[in-house]
Amino acid sequence: MKKRVYSNPVGVSRYTGLLLILPFIAGFLLFTLYPFVCSFAVGMTEYDNIRPARFVGLGNYRTMLRDDNFRKALTVTLKYAAILVPMKLAVSLMTALLLNAEIRGIGIYRTALYIPSILGANLAVVIMWNYLFTSGGLVNQVLSLAGASPVGWYGDPDKALFVVILLRLWEFGSTMIIFLAALRDIPCELYDAARVDGCGSIRAFFAITLPQLRGVIFVNLVLQSIAALQEFNAPYMLTGGGPLKSTYTVGMLIYDEMFRYDMNAGYANAVSWVLFVLISAVVGIMFAVTRGRRRDEK
Amino acid sequence: MKFNILRAAAVCCAFTLSACGSTRKTSATPPDGRLDKCTIRFSWWGGDDRHEATLKAIDLWNTLHPDITIKPEYGGWDGWQEKTASQISGGTEPDVMQINYDWLVTMSPDGEGFYDLGQLTEQLDLSGLSEDILSFGMVNGRLNAVTVSVTGRGLFYNSGIYERLGASYPTSWEELIALGDVFSKNGLYPLDLDIQSGGTAWYLAAVYVQQKTGREFITMDGELGFTREDIAEALRFYKRLEDSHVIRTIRTRTDEDGNAALYQSPEFIGGRIAGVLEWGSSVGKYESVLADGVLQAGPFLSDGSGNTSGWMIKPSMLYAVSRNTEHPDEAAAFVDFLLNNGECAEILGTTRGIPASRYAEERLEASGKLKGPAQESDELLERLDTLTISPYMELARVKEYCNTALENVSYGTQDADAAADELYASVTGYLEKIRK
Repeated sequence: MKKRVYSNPVGVSRYTGLLLILPFIAGFLLFTLYPFVCSFAVGMTEYDNIRPARFVGLGNYRTMLRDDNFRKALTVTLKYAAILVPMKLAVSLMTALLLNAEIRGIGIYRTALYIPSILGANLAVVIMWNYLFTSGGLVNQVLSLAGASPVGWYGDPDKALFVVILLRLWEFGSTMIIFLAALRDIPCELYDAARVDGCGSIRAFFAITLPQLRGVIFVNLVLQSIAALQEFNAPYMLTGGGPLKSTYTVGMLIYDEMFRYDMNAGYANAVSWVLFVLISAVVGIMFAVTRGRRRDEK
Repeated sequence: MKFNILRAAAVCCAFTLSACGSTRKTSATPPDGRLDKCTIRFSWWGGDDRHEATLKAIDLWNTLHPDITIKPEYGGWDGWQEKTASQISGGTEPDVMQINYDWLVTMSPDGEGFYDLGQLTEQLDLSGLSEDILSFGMVNGRLNAVTVSVTGRGLFYNSGIYERLGASYPTSWEELIALGDVFSKNGLYPLDLDIQSGGTAWYLAAVYVQQKTGREFITMDGELGFTREDIAEALRFYKRLEDSHVIRTIRTRTDEDGNAALYQSPEFIGGRIAGVLEWGSSVGKYESVLADGVLQAGPFLSDGSGNTSGWMIKPSMLYAVSRNTEHPDEAAAFVDFLLNNGECAEILGTTRGIPASRYAEERLEASGKLKGPAQESDELLERLDTLTISPYMELARVKEYCNTALENVSYGTQDADAAADELYASVTGYLEKIRK
């Protein structure tokens, strides 16, 4: 059989594909893989960016086991992620359900609710949060109008983390948009058939909506867990990690060791690797636990 | 083949480890004695008063030296050290930097971290600075930086509030504590101290104990001078200030201000807090948020029997030139302008404290610009038997240990003795490590 020969009017050769992805490959090697490998090597040294690095093997990892700050930061980070992620998924899903309705001006509502997630924890947002939660702030004024006594949001170690969580919870726009897109993909016929069979809206939510969103919930769970475990700038800007280190995350510890104290690059990189392993383990467990259900879906 | 793979792996590892380092130059560009056309980056931290004055000074430089453009980089203190540290570690720091005293310990422990200004005397006139002042910037026999001004933390009060309450500025520790009663009846505080980056809370407690015992908290050689009992005494004194309503508790302060600095706090701007402990060189940021002429320097507190020792001075800040600069002559000429030029001195005024350079100080005196709370505090300080602050006391990690102890005592999670034990062990261990 004669081999078919395709004409090549635009000069596409066997290397064209490689050439097209070369910028990405180069960027990945230079700005991701190379720093990644470097970080591991630096984590094995005592290095302050000024004097030559001194190889200490696993010394930094052994120091971590005795470091009170690391233990506190790890506990705060896990607690923060464990509270924030389920709350954020629940709020995003509920809002997406409300915004899935075909009502007049729905685009405005969707945009308005998405905007906070673009803002992040910048200075303006932090100032706004201070106006809300400092002792004379709006939240306490509303509480006193309702007859409740004012709450010390920032000064109470049990409540300060909650203030940080609220800031990130308020930025639920991107998770909401992913849920909204998935909701619009669920065939209407499923709901029509359920309604004919006498199924109410709550039952339909648990029997149709949630199972149909399983994959998207998993994606959001993974993305939000990674972001929460890496948290840095919201507690840094709002509370500085206090009071009593109750909002001090592993991300802040890495920053402090690297830049705020004595440029302890070796230790900071070692902690970064522990954080990387922690995130990989958490995501790995999520994949393992949901493997069966995800296989059923396929 | 197997040997080649192993060899390649070894080369890769060596390359990785060697290339992981920063991009710092191995040797500094030598001076050539000429002022060529170039752009110089100059960075500083400060409040608005300092920013505005420095930008005007740069305008003056640009008219005098149109070929040498100055690119300013400036901001507030919070985060500034971290920013500079990351620039230095990446070899991208500005040509001329305003640096803090303790940075010489962390960023140039062997004297190689900054350009040796001793080599740039053709452009930089150091004759206006005394030997003592110059010695602040010497590391390992190299002049790493030149002192801009010498300062000490003093007490500054909102005169309007004190007058309204009929209260006098305290002269002793006991008078300060007695003010708590007077102010608490009106829902006000005579003073405020912080455990943020400034760390004024530990500073005042350390001064109290230094005055009482004659021992320095940390010596110039980086040894812990306080005993465990001295530290416990400082922590108890701090708690007494809180309990006597002289200062807000850390919980109240955090509830009211969040993470904001005191000069940005509505409680201070609104007059509920009537005093601060601040460097004379930085008090402008507090002045600028209050009505003109309201902030006044108060006496340095004594033990009541005329002992005013224990108060401290240090170089408020220094100018350093990057060791990676391509333009050492031009950078040195700009530092000389900032230190010694008369017109520049008039523009900068006392925004960086009372100038250490004799030429700048004389010009300010002649033009009647040596006034205001910074000058008042400086004059009071000159009459005291002061200690020079050890740069080790200024280290961020030492401050963090002290702040943690204060926080534990303030919140009641530790008593003063337990917190002192922990602080003593942490600071001793850290100082040993950093001195190596």
